[in-house]
Amino acid sequence: MTPAMSTVSLATLALADSRFPGGGHAHSGGLEEAVHRGTVSGSEQLAEFLHGRLHGAGAQAAVFAAAAAHAAARGVPPDHWSLLDAELDARTPAPAQRAASRAQGRGTLRAGRSALPSRALDELHATTGSPHHPVVVGVLLGAGADRSPADTAAAMAYLSISGPASAAVRLLGLDPFEANAAVTALRAETERIAAEAARTAGHRPGSLPATSSPALDLLAEQHQRHHREEGRLFAS
Amino acid sequence: MQAEHQHQGHGQHVHGQYGHRHPVDFDPTSAGPDPFAPAASGSRPVRIGIGGPVGSGKTALTAALCRTLGAELELAVVTNDIYTTEDADFLRQAGVLDPGRVEAVQTGACPHTAIRDDITANLDAVERLQQRYASLDLVLVESGGDNLTAVFSRGLADVQVFVVDVAGGDKVPRKGGPGVTTADLLVVNKVDLAERVGADMAVMLADAHRMRGELAVLAQSLTDDPAASAAADWVRRQVAEHRAAVGPSAE
Amino acid sequence: MKSTASLTVELDGAGNSVVRRLRSMAPLTLVPRRRGSSATGGAVVHLVGSATSPLGGDDLSLRVRVGAGARLLLRGIAASLALPGHGPGGSRGSIDIDVEDGGTVEYLPEPTVVTSRAEHRAELSVRLADSARACFRETLVLGRSGEEPGGLVSSTSLERGGIPLLRHTFEPGRQRLRASHTHLGGARVLANEVVVWDRDPEPRSEADWALQPLAGGGSLTTVLTADTVTARRRLAEARAVHPSGGELTPVEPAE
Repeated sequence: MTPAMSTVSLATLALADSRFPGGGHAHSGGLEEAVHRGTVSGSEQLAEFLHGRLHGAGAQAAVFAAAAAHAAARGVPPDHWSLLDAELDARTPAPAQRAASRAQGRGTLRAGRSALPSRALDELHATTGSPHHPVVVGVLLGAGADRSPADTAAAMAYLSISGPASAAVRLLGLDPFEANAAVTALRAETERIAAEAARTAGHRPGSLPATSSPALDLLAEQHQRHHREEGRLFAS
Repeated sequence: MQAEHQHQGHGQHVHGQYGHRHPVDFDPTSAGPDPFAPAASGSRPVRIGIGGPVGSGKTALTAALCRTLGAELELAVVTNDIYTTEDADFLRQAGVLDPGRVEAVQTGACPHTAIRDDITANLDAVERLQQRYASLDLVLVESGGDNLTAVFSRGLADVQVFVVDVAGGDKVPRKGGPGVTTADLLVVNKVDLAERVGADMAVMLADAHRMRGELAVLAQSLTDDPAASAAADWVRRQVAEHRAAVGPSAE
Repeated sequence: MKSTASLTVELDGAGNSVVRRLRSMAPLTLVPRRRGSSATGGAVVHLVGSATSPLGGDDLSLRVRVGAGARLLLRGIAASLALPGHGPGGSRGSIDIDVEDGGTVEYLPEPTVVTSRAEHRAELSVRLADSARACFRETLVLGRSGEEPGGLVSSTSLERGGIPLLRHTFEPGRQRLRASHTHLGGARVLANEVVVWDRDPEPRSEADWALQPLAGGGSLTTVLTADTVTARRRLAEARAVHPSGGELTPVEPAE
């Protein structure tokens, strides 16, 4: 009997790990603002927040991570990265969300250049300066040997909820077991979203799906306003 | 002092339409060279971490160093405020630095993570300062108040100072921890209060030397010496050694 | 039922914006109300029956072209209901708007009420030349009072000079998603207004609305409220802080 091969690469696991030093620990993805509003104060509300975040921002990020992985794997010319960048900008109307995505993208790029260097990563960097987070994640994983848009999308979707869950533990002193369970309760939906993102990974950038989360946009903008006025612990 | 707007050709910064005058940190749409590309070590300022428990006097020491060294060195500060931008505001309002020379970092309620395990936000802040002031000699990175185990990653700070104070008890050096045992300089602060809080300075300094071997220990009182002269001398030596090791600042 | 309506507005020799071509097709009826110079608001056309309010099985499309330098205000007349219908596969309504250099379009439909059995796709595609201007709005009411909304997918695509400014797809989703504070936070009314004019605003954020400058230019106002009266008030507040807000057709108070 041949030993079973793992289907998930170490690179994917490392990028999805909260210990990956790409600056993610300082982003709450709107959770801090929701806590200040009083709309998230316990584990049950956290679960609802994460559910919505996964289906909105998480699905959007997964689509672009899968598309970038697909593009990096087939070796696109550098101007493809400009197109993806502009298309994700157009799907991110809140300036605060664009800034948060680029800040995490820049941090992930910095860490990724040490961990998983590639020509595609250098070209992405040269073309976009501070790239969006999902695009960096896609390039890091797509340019490597693993090249699975579905795994890339799953990692990205997971990152969209694991950070806010950790922020909730830090801000509210939630039971970490409950917060963690709120994340893993979404595993089937995460897999569906990843599979759907992988299905559209080869689309032209302009035709990639768009997913809006109007309430999250308002939270992100309010977070920035309140940070200026009274200070916030998290960068988003 | 350098002018505040040194956009060395990257990004377009076309904000004149609305009369923007604030320094632009970066232009994410820029297709030019990345301002955040790591500079060769020869062209970058020495980065000194200042850490220590809450209330030990990190911000006061930082402010004193800025006042003493501001005229002779090109310097800037990154603060890791724990909750608000209080520390950054303190430095700006104290008039010791141009507001543009102070960057505040949000640490996501984990001050030790931001200086040790994931230094991204601090590196971004350092690089923003380097972009704004091309010929910096020194960046002081002040950590958020934490506990005795918090130290700076060597990827962020070239050398680091750990600040403890006599009011925290004279047992602190004996307790050890990576901050006390490994920092390049241990500052025992507020020695003017020793008598009032019943701290035995001789024991404290002897413990500190015993725990640290050859590493430097310095006792100070900013009440008696607001210029922090001894700490400032130590910083001057670090800047000189950094220059000697990597050559003068490239710009 | 498949129907296609079209409308072309151009400048005449006297500098007035006039309707050059107009083809209505039931249930899309276009009624020209006025001609005029750009300074006085240009041509005004009313849209009676709406591409966003068909019956199931309908496939409606409206093509609008605004010539160089011309100005069009295309306005809805009454709130519309997305209702279930006879055909399978739900209904679809699409509006394509092209605006040439120096042209201006304002597309201001009345709210769309998404009824419980609706199964509708609404698509708005706006292509602007480099110096064209646009303002368009969408107000979605998710179910009549006490009613669950049905299925709706509303997509907006906006390009200027071939550059994407906004790609937006909104679905109310199931009850659990609508209640999530990242999606709708339980709000019943979602209003969006896009403005691509001569000047772009600074970001402005309040609890239930935000004025957001887009990365490629233009802005999006997002409003989440319990009712349309408040939504209109918020849209007007956003207009008041938009540097070009005074040049737009005012947000009329709710009836």
